[in-house]
Amino acid sequence: MKFLSRVIIEINASIAIAKRYIRLYYIRPGTIMFGLMFPFFMFLSFIVGRKISIDLLISSLVSMTLLFSSSSIGPMILPMERRLKTIERLLVAPISFYSILFGIVLCSMFYSISISIVPIIFGLIFLKINIIDPIVLIVGIFFSSICFASLGMMFASYPTEYPGSVTMALNFVRLPLLFISGVFIPLEHLPSWQQAIAMFSPLSYCNDIIRYAVNGKAHYNVIIDIAALTIFTAIFLTAGVKIHVAFSDTKASKKKRKINKFK
Amino acid sequence: MIAIESIGLTKYYGRLLAVDHIYFKVNVGEVFGFLGPNGAGKTTTIRMLTGLTKPTEGTAKIFGYNILREKIMAKKMFGVVPEFTNIYDGLTAWDNLMFMGELYRIPKYEREKYGLELLKIFGLYERRNDLVKTFSKGMKRKLCIAMALIHKPRLLFLDEPTSGLDIHSTIIIRNIIRKLNEEGVTVFLTTHNIEEANILCDRIAIIYRGRIIAINTPERLKMAIKKVQSIVIAFNRFSPKILEDLRKNSLINDVRKEGDKIRLYTSDPPDVLEYIFQYANRNGLKIISINTLRPSLEEVFLKLTGGMEK
Repeated sequence: MKFLSRVIIEINASIAIAKRYIRLYYIRPGTIMFGLMFPFFMFLSFIVGRKISIDLLISSLVSMTLLFSSSSIGPMILPMERRLKTIERLLVAPISFYSILFGIVLCSMFYSISISIVPIIFGLIFLKINIIDPIVLIVGIFFSSICFASLGMMFASYPTEYPGSVTMALNFVRLPLLFISGVFIPLEHLPSWQQAIAMFSPLSYCNDIIRYAVNGKAHYNVIIDIAALTIFTAIFLTAGVKIHVAFSDTKASKKKRKINKFK
Repeated sequence: MIAIESIGLTKYYGRLLAVDHIYFKVNVGEVFGFLGPNGAGKTTTIRMLTGLTKPTEGTAKIFGYNILREKIMAKKMFGVVPEFTNIYDGLTAWDNLMFMGELYRIPKYEREKYGLELLKIFGLYERRNDLVKTFSKGMKRKLCIAMALIHKPRLLFLDEPTSGLDIHSTIIIRNIIRKLNEEGVTVFLTTHNIEEANILCDRIAIIYRGRIIAINTPERLKMAIKKVQSIVIAFNRFSPKILEDLRKNSLINDVRKEGDKIRLYTSDPPDVLEYIFQYANRNGLKIISINTLRPSLEEVFLKLTGGMEK
């Protein structure tokens, strides 16, 4: 009972944090650039001059949008919060660090879900696409957004005060993921060695589950996709907390040494 | 009852020892000053006491709750006003306050009622719906303190609360600190403004290079440093020879010209006074004014930290 009430308190705190972050960070230039414009232009460069089926088009666009929009919020929020020292206001409150992380994840999820449903609505209205399994689509979007939000969080956990540094490092991972995860070319058309690599990318499972929801075809299967996305989420969040703990003191000591040098 | 107990708090940043096994207690209802020059370890100590930084060794208790093992309970007890004003510029004063209230789980009705009260106390009521980015430095600082008070904490950590503020805002904030203390809030005040500590604090600890080198009431600290007692004299005329003559007296530790007055530092004011009257008579000098002064807290501080330097 005590544990349950603690969990409720922490979830409420996460929701309160997410609500404020939505108001503070959604319309920042960096968020719009990497969360909205970037996937859109990547998508344009992908479709221009190619004959691609509507199903593949929609599922690819949704996957790309989920990846970029979800993983862009954490790297914007955490460094900014560190720079403005507002994160310390949350850290001295009687809540756990996980609640702060979860608040950011919630904020990222809400952002990416809102953006990723735009191409679906567009496809349904103008391209007359059929959604074979709407429940799987909702579940897929949910698990993918939480997974990519956690990926962004993991990178943002390195205690830097510059969002640009985190986004740059994150792009070293996000961009290659696009080419190995069956977004541009379906996984079944890739050579076997590339299919083997694709298994280590969370985007493969996101793309797979979205494609299944849209046209009923999956390279893996829905259960494997959800399980894999959940495992990746757990890995990213755990790594994020470990990075935060491991580097916080190192960063602080560098700062202290610098200050002492000038004394 | 003890509000804060530091039990050997120690912090290393890499090989740099920032805080070195400090022990002290702060009683409930006290205004406790924590003084030290820049880089002495004040902020690191406050960060360890508030759970922001994990100590390398030792621990601390806040109203009996261990800051490492019972973090959540300990954090409920205090509010923190950090050195840097860390409020959300993109939110209004009201939203900032309510956000804090939510994090501390204050019921909506209560946090709204008390939030309005705080805004009135701090003179921010009229500006409650304005974005904080339009506020002056003093207004932001006041809001920062109001945010630390929204959950009615029993203990308030204030890290350089008046640093960089104009005199008007400084006086308002000092009055608020006094009022809070009268209402029973224990205050832990970190400052390098000695005068501020002198007028606000019941007790003061002086930290230097990570170690506490003195801890006592401001008056007792002043009395402890007898060598910096002083006599301020104004003669009817001045010449450099007077300074030279006074310096020759072995009872006088230092002689300084301060405007039209001369300040003599001594550990034996009665004998020096006698000498001065004799000296004035001998040299045909008229004493316009003469005062014996106990050391200021600033002098105590400089003596202690300077002594450590030597």
